[in-house]
Amino acid sequence: MSVIEIRELTKDYGNHKGIFNLTFQVEEGEVFGYLGPNGAGKTTTIRHLMGFISPDKGSASILGMDCRRQSAAIMAHLGYLPAEIAFFDGMSGIDFLRFMAEMRGDSRTDLRDKLIDMFALDVRQRIRKMSKGMKQKLAIVSAFMHDPKVLLLDEPTSGLDPLMQKTFAELILEEKKKGKTILMSSHSFEEIERTCDRAGIIRQGNLVAIENIKDLKEKRRKTYLITFDSAEAAEEFKRNNSFDGIEISGATAKVSVTGNVAALVRILGRYNVLELDTESSSLEDVFMQYYGTAAAGDTDSGI
Amino acid sequence: MISKSLIKATFKQNLIVMLIIIAALMLYLPIIVSMYNPDMQDSLNEVLELFPQQFLAALGFTAARHDLLGFVATYFYGFLILLLPMIFTITAANRTIASHVDKGSMAYLLSTPTKRSKIAITQALYLLVSISLIIGLVTVVGICVSQMLYPGELDIMGFIMLNLGALLLHYALTGLSFFASCTFNDSKNSLMLGAGLPVAFLLLQMLSDVGESTEFLKYFTIYTLFDPEKITSGEGYIISFLIMGIIAICLYFAGIMAFKKRDLPL
Repeated sequence: MSVIEIRELTKDYGNHKGIFNLTFQVEEGEVFGYLGPNGAGKTTTIRHLMGFISPDKGSASILGMDCRRQSAAIMAHLGYLPAEIAFFDGMSGIDFLRFMAEMRGDSRTDLRDKLIDMFALDVRQRIRKMSKGMKQKLAIVSAFMHDPKVLLLDEPTSGLDPLMQKTFAELILEEKKKGKTILMSSHSFEEIERTCDRAGIIRQGNLVAIENIKDLKEKRRKTYLITFDSAEAAEEFKRNNSFDGIEISGATAKVSVTGNVAALVRILGRYNVLELDTESSSLEDVFMQYYGTAAAGDTDSGI
Repeated sequence: MISKSLIKATFKQNLIVMLIIIAALMLYLPIIVSMYNPDMQDSLNEVLELFPQQFLAALGFTAARHDLLGFVATYFYGFLILLLPMIFTITAANRTIASHVDKGSMAYLLSTPTKRSKIAITQALYLLVSISLIIGLVTVVGICVSQMLYPGELDIMGFIMLNLGALLLHYALTGLSFFASCTFNDSKNSLMLGAGLPVAFLLLQMLSDVGESTEFLKYFTIYTLFDPEKITSGEGYIISFLIMGIIAICLYFAGIMAFKKRDLPL
């Protein structure tokens, strides 16, 4: 049995907003990335899993329990990180964490303190005075500190600096080793790539693909910016090689490669390369790459 | 059926408002009691004669009974006991549910193994307990101050009934604000009903007291059910007590059910 099961889940807010006929499972011990642009329905899906809203049609269950009717029982095994973070007025970070532990009837503090150290969180500070990143760290600690079996993380790294994003990725990998089941939403492909086993891509409320991260990487086209020692070298590179759409500007060439980059690396060995850079592609680019304009524009085409 | 940690947090969150309201009540009550003069009630009347009659009527300052109970019933239970606890109710009730939903902190409460009904019942209980505490304190302090200043003058049984009436009225009012808090997604709408209606009721009550031409307005305000004159003179007030109690039970119940059933925008 899957830990998270979503079947034909539908919530129509009208005007093409909402989620439509979503069906997917997340298995035990799996890290599932839930990808989509803003407003695609990621948070709506997670709201159903949290039991905040009732579906128009279909069902969602976690650990075999119905998400709407048995939400309190599910929460005993679940850690949740909301997309928008708000707490009680006037509490300090540690007050909040203590309050959450009390509400959960959980008196353990070892994991909590470890997480506080890991993210260098100043818990004495009043929440109202905290920066966005601080609040995000606090929310992360709160979601993980009771060692839950299942984690629902809604855009967990928003507001974190790159160093902390790396720390967060380490945390996810560590939890994965412990056999946790994790669903995490994001609009950053790189983030999902770093930590997840599988990813579901949602667009305008429809699930358009579920792929293994390995397959996604293979299919993915990456763009490299190569700076040669001279404009002539760049011209020569363009003339002699058959990569798709090489663009030259001065001594810099822009090359797109799908999947394995070994061929490109071999050829570059013959040149004097001053700089090699990747151009990170946005989720939209990745999406367009896989599913083309037709699928991207026409949401009713479904999976 | 209730969450201790939540009720503690809610209590702390509203402590300052509660203390301010209690302080205001504790300031006015002894002043009003001390103004009573069994021999020459006229000293206050002389002052009051400076004001227009309608203004005094709007504040409920029309005495029916000329002893200490009648005096307090008129000058304290005609207006202040309606207004001050109402301010507490409006603030605290919005904070129980609606502001958590509006701000998003409800997501955290619901991410713990706590049922929605348990959260709502806990918050409802908080309102009932704190309003009881406020009115209870008024009762005790009222009796103590009266006994100290005018030993044996106060009809204690009558005073307790007067406060019981006020308590039931405030149960109904907190019920209304709690229902609004449970039903709406944002503080703005919750306050529109949960604060707007009690304030409107109070204004209608004041208007209906002014004169005969506006007296019909009393049928449109819940405050009519609490009539200090009737209670102190022992006329049939049991029915209004029952009605206030039933209104309170219905509103609290409806609020809890509404919160349990609805979709939350978290």
